[in-house]
Amino acid sequence: MVSIMSDNSTPLLEMRGISKHFGATKALDRVDFTCNAGEVHAVLGENGAGKSTLMKLIAGVLQPTHGQLRVDGQDVFLNTPQTALRHGLVCMFQELSLVPDLTVRENLLLGAPGAGLGWLAGTGLDKAQDVLNRIGAGQIKMGTRVADLTLPQRQQVEIAKAIMKKPRLLILDEATSALSASVVEGVFDLVREERDSGTAILFISHRFHEIEALADRVSVFRNGQRVETFMKGDHTYSEIIGMMVGQKIEELFPPKPPSQRDADIVLDVQNYTWESQVRDVSLSVKRGQIVGLGGLDGQGQGAFLMGLFGLLRKAEGTTAISGQATEINSPKEAKKRDISLAYIPEDRKTEGLILDQSIQENLELAALGRPDLDAGDTALYAGSLDQLALKHGGLELPVSSLSGGNQQKVVLAKWLALKPRCLLLADPTRGIDVKTKTQIYAILRKLADQGTAIILLSTDYEELIQLCDETHIFFDGKVVASLNGDDLTPENIIAATLNVASEPQAAHA
Amino acid sequence: MLRTVSIDSLMPYIGVVLLVIAGSFFFPQVLSAGYLSQQLQIAAFLGLLATGATIVILLGHIDLSVPWVLTGAAILSTALVGSGNPVLSAIAVPAALAFGALIGIVNGIGVAILRIPSMVWTLAVNSMLLGLAVLNTGGFNPRGEASPLMIAMASGDILGLPISFLIWIALSIALAGFLTRTPFGRYLRSIGFNEKATFLSGVSTPSVVFTAFAIAGMCSALGGVMLAGYANQAYQSMGDPFLLPTIAAVVIGGTSILGGRGGLFGTIGGALFITLLTSILSVMQIEDAWRNIIFGTIILVMLLFQTLRKGAAA
Repeated sequence: MVSIMSDNSTPLLEMRGISKHFGATKALDRVDFTCNAGEVHAVLGENGAGKSTLMKLIAGVLQPTHGQLRVDGQDVFLNTPQTALRHGLVCMFQELSLVPDLTVRENLLLGAPGAGLGWLAGTGLDKAQDVLNRIGAGQIKMGTRVADLTLPQRQQVEIAKAIMKKPRLLILDEATSALSASVVEGVFDLVREERDSGTAILFISHRFHEIEALADRVSVFRNGQRVETFMKGDHTYSEIIGMMVGQKIEELFPPKPPSQRDADIVLDVQNYTWESQVRDVSLSVKRGQIVGLGGLDGQGQGAFLMGLFGLLRKAEGTTAISGQATEINSPKEAKKRDISLAYIPEDRKTEGLILDQSIQENLELAALGRPDLDAGDTALYAGSLDQLALKHGGLELPVSSLSGGNQQKVVLAKWLALKPRCLLLADPTRGIDVKTKTQIYAILRKLADQGTAIILLSTDYEELIQLCDETHIFFDGKVVASLNGDDLTPENIIAATLNVASEPQAAHA
Repeated sequence: MLRTVSIDSLMPYIGVVLLVIAGSFFFPQVLSAGYLSQQLQIAAFLGLLATGATIVILLGHIDLSVPWVLTGAAILSTALVGSGNPVLSAIAVPAALAFGALIGIVNGIGVAILRIPSMVWTLAVNSMLLGLAVLNTGGFNPRGEASPLMIAMASGDILGLPISFLIWIALSIALAGFLTRTPFGRYLRSIGFNEKATFLSGVSTPSVVFTAFAIAGMCSALGGVMLAGYANQAYQSMGDPFLLPTIAAVVIGGTSILGGRGGLFGTIGGALFITLLTSILSVMQIEDAWRNIIFGTIILVMLLFQTLRKGAAA
């Protein structure tokens, strides 16, 4: 191998005049792009801007229609991911690529260097364990089936798997989307260390504070073209958003109306307990109120939300809907007219949608079971689809043809058709572009104004601050802080998520 | 109905036409009304089984208990008729159908409540039914006979069309309507694609699974009753040769073995195609060995075509 680490004149990766067409769609249009060894290069853009296509070209998953890739100044043709790996190009994809039925160990060894026919050496597992420990995933056992891990845990294993391959260029595509702040910090330390030892990092994220924390250079993409590349700090957030969508950050969140203290309570939960994961949680949400649930991953907030929708067996506690004591044992009961809850699950691809079916069929699925609604009536969905500005080529097309953000709009519209009196959302904007986020914020606020009660679980504390009237922070199954009004600050949220009383403490490294 | 007419589901019909044309070169009598009507009659037996199998496969599951639900229903119905009691004789057919539904519900319990893979559970149920039948008859062919109704269902004809064929088509149309016009049909396909998302959309998925397996059990039982009428008796293992052709008919008809995609229109074509292929191969007096090889090859080619077409579309 040539000595390249210190050679700054030749970029590690260079792309010249790259275009990628899918039929008539130009996913990338004559893009020039370079990435140097020893830098963290953030790639920004809305969904559909071409970021993922760019990454797939680098990872050898797709091949360009036109243009040339060069590694260390040499022309390369990456026809398979194995070829890309041989050049040291490793991608951790947004769509998780672990095999659910295999254990963590088996997944880590899949495609590991030296694996193939013959004996597995198991080398590199120490490194993987080390990585897992460092990103706060030390409790994940190597023998656990991946299917039994939570979404954040799977993402942590993905990171370990990618780093194990000793990349020269590592692509992190929404790699931290499901992770909470303190875990992200650990991941970032690791990434910085990799960078300092000469690895190039391509970093895709929709969270601005992550880019602020990590990136050295930033490239902004829009509509399949690279708009600009600049050093971090050369432009402000609003300028960057302007480049991405032509919108300012102040316009991201709708204004918060003054809270109405005397509104009716829609959902009231007392002493909710489930196994050891949710402990004695009591909270309520009023008409027109948006209540946030925050905290580190797996502190019980996700289970609590599922429990409200009737997904947990043998839970204790009382639930009252509009003052009426109610027991909800299944989603079917939860969506009944007199209860009228809706739940937007965490993973839209496996839980929220049936990807093989058409947009229309997906929209109808929740309304079908309600005798008082005519699921086939398109007017049920038209309003919310209009407001969310769903971009589609026809409602009869499979929902998998939509981008991630548009898919989430379908999940929302499907439930909004039932005019729920209380909407439960599990991290609805994870991995979604800024513009779609804005649309989702706007419709949530509008629903609240119309009297819907909303419970929003979020891993993005800007949402908990900017959108929510009140936020409950979970720690170890309990609500450790309920913040509202002026108390709703980043410092207080971070302090509460780490369960430290007052002085904010830096996340452990 | 229209939704289920895809290119995949038309394939077996094209195959049928080609088979008839090719067959007529060797044996002109293939084009005779007598021969074709006999094929329709025989295809109905396979078709009824495949109708039930389609519903379970759309759900993303499989029912391997078909052979012994069929045999059990045949034994039960002929035994009731053979008892000589006019009341028992009259309830022979409904009793056999109820038996099929019952086994279907047992299958549903295993799959939906106990969450055991249907491939294993229904195979075990099949094996237990076999054991019960042997215990009941001592291993000999069961005594009994078919009622005139059963014989008419299997061998009668109206306006030159076999009654068995008419029953099959009527049932297929009724079920196809049920699948396309009711929430049940939508739930069935949705579960076949993604059970979790369907459940989270507020659907009681276990009841859908129960219903689907019960319908499938009744279809198998009806097939058994009619086969008993055709042979005027029931006999051990009469259902065994039907299992693989049943699944083949469904899959050749364009229904995805993974669930969700497909429909009954294709299954009708699939059953006709397999019946005709079997018949023409035997009319041509091709050796058994070659017949099996040709049979397997044709099924593989049709599946390969489906897969390649899907790959090209994606």
